[in-house]
Amino acid sequence: MAATTDSVKADVSEAPLLNKVNLFAGLTLYLVFYSFIRWYEGVYGWSAGLDSFAPEFETYWMNMLYIELVAEVVIACGLWGYIWKTRDRKVMSITPREELRRHMTHWTWLCMYGWAVYWGASYFTEQDGTWHQTIVRDTDFTPSHIIEFYLAYPIYIITGVSSFLYAKTRLPAYSEGLSLMYMISVLGPFMILPNVGLNEWGHTFWFMEELFVAPLHYGFVFFGWATLAVMGVVNTEVNALTKLLKKDLA
Amino acid sequence: MSASQSAVRSRAEAVQVSRTLDWMILFTLFTVVLGGYHIHYMLTGGDWDFWTDWKDRRLWVTVAPIVSITFPAAVQACLWFRYRLPFGAVVCVLALMLGEWINRYLNFWGWTYFPVNFCFPSNLVPGAILLDVVLMLSSSFVLTAVVGGMAWGLVFYPGNWPIIAPLHVPVEYNGMMFTLADLQGYHYVRTGTPEYIRMVEKGTLRTFGKDVAPVSAFFSAFVCIIIYFLWHYFGRWFAKTDFIDGEGM
Repeated sequence: MAATTDSVKADVSEAPLLNKVNLFAGLTLYLVFYSFIRWYEGVYGWSAGLDSFAPEFETYWMNMLYIELVAEVVIACGLWGYIWKTRDRKVMSITPREELRRHMTHWTWLCMYGWAVYWGASYFTEQDGTWHQTIVRDTDFTPSHIIEFYLAYPIYIITGVSSFLYAKTRLPAYSEGLSLMYMISVLGPFMILPNVGLNEWGHTFWFMEELFVAPLHYGFVFFGWATLAVMGVVNTEVNALTKLLKKDLA
Repeated sequence: MSASQSAVRSRAEAVQVSRTLDWMILFTLFTVVLGGYHIHYMLTGGDWDFWTDWKDRRLWVTVAPIVSITFPAAVQACLWFRYRLPFGAVVCVLALMLGEWINRYLNFWGWTYFPVNFCFPSNLVPGAILLDVVLMLSSSFVLTAVVGGMAWGLVFYPGNWPIIAPLHVPVEYNGMMFTLADLQGYHYVRTGTPEYIRMVEKGTLRTFGKDVAPVSAFFSAFVCIIIYFLWHYFGRWFAKTDFIDGEGM
């Protein structure tokens, strides 16, 4: 009886396998943040975002762009640096339970990555289509671009690279070599951001109109295909988790 | 670590962890595929999907199925052939359509004020169900490509018929015969429309072309078969678990 009590006490005191608070807080954070951004677009897109030569455009949109860029560099350096700095140098000697706990944390990161990819590649990208088919752009830094290219894309890049670094530095399954599909699933969508250079260069030829199926946009399509590499990540994870759980599930 | 040590305290905990992981994997797969599939679809077939005046009987019927069979074929290649999960195509299409509906309502309507009956997305669900059912019953990607791929192309227009038919009825406007969809496009001018103020179904298509939609669907079905094969192999490749040597990177 005493032994059982001790065991229960030990269970209560140790960290849970999955920190649900972190998971739901992270998802909620993105939802609330992007809801605010959508509200901001709705209000200041029409009132201050139509003429890039107007003073209010500088106030409400260009200043937002500058803040975004600085914040993203700071957050990326801080987060990636922290994950790397606190890496586990004896990753092969952790207990199976600790390994399972880290896999659950890793999946929290992957859920965050998926959520960030949704907002960037789906929500704000198609939104860009309707904005540019409604207003006539007179700058590369339109309200929808300032949100899509320079906010939503960097956020999923920061989240994706963080997830990759977490796996690489804390999980035995990723400690030897580099997971090819993990790299593709993070670097492919990342390449959408540099591809903005091609997009903006091309739009200097077709400044007025927006056609989404124009070949100019196919660079985004090609790199979007890389998201399918998440299947390779899932398979790698399932292999690792099977080793940890198989005999207990048999 | 010791091989004899267990990661869980009991079988019940193992089951609970396994179920939790199932949901987390599904959420991640759903949202990542949504993002990738949506950016692919909106930039290869998007204009036909955005606006009713682009939803004609020829190019919409041809292009939309061809560019949309891609991700379902790839995801099926992983989910069925690795896990025997028979919902690869449906999960892709549900993800895409969720993303599209959220966007059309909150952004096309909510930000730029296009009415939803002008910018609703195409329906891809019937084709996805057929694709999954053919794969589940046959367990053959070759048969799925030929039968399912063809069904995907052929069923697209009938699957959208009840939605688009009311907008394809003719109206006379300033002495011209339009469809209601054309008239919507005429009134809701977009930055891409000046060079596209066009009647797709003009000339021989309206006099000679009563069979335009079935012919277009049949051509689309033919290409869908080929695209399915191609993307099945893409899916297999993307499902690999290979590691590479990090030296020199």
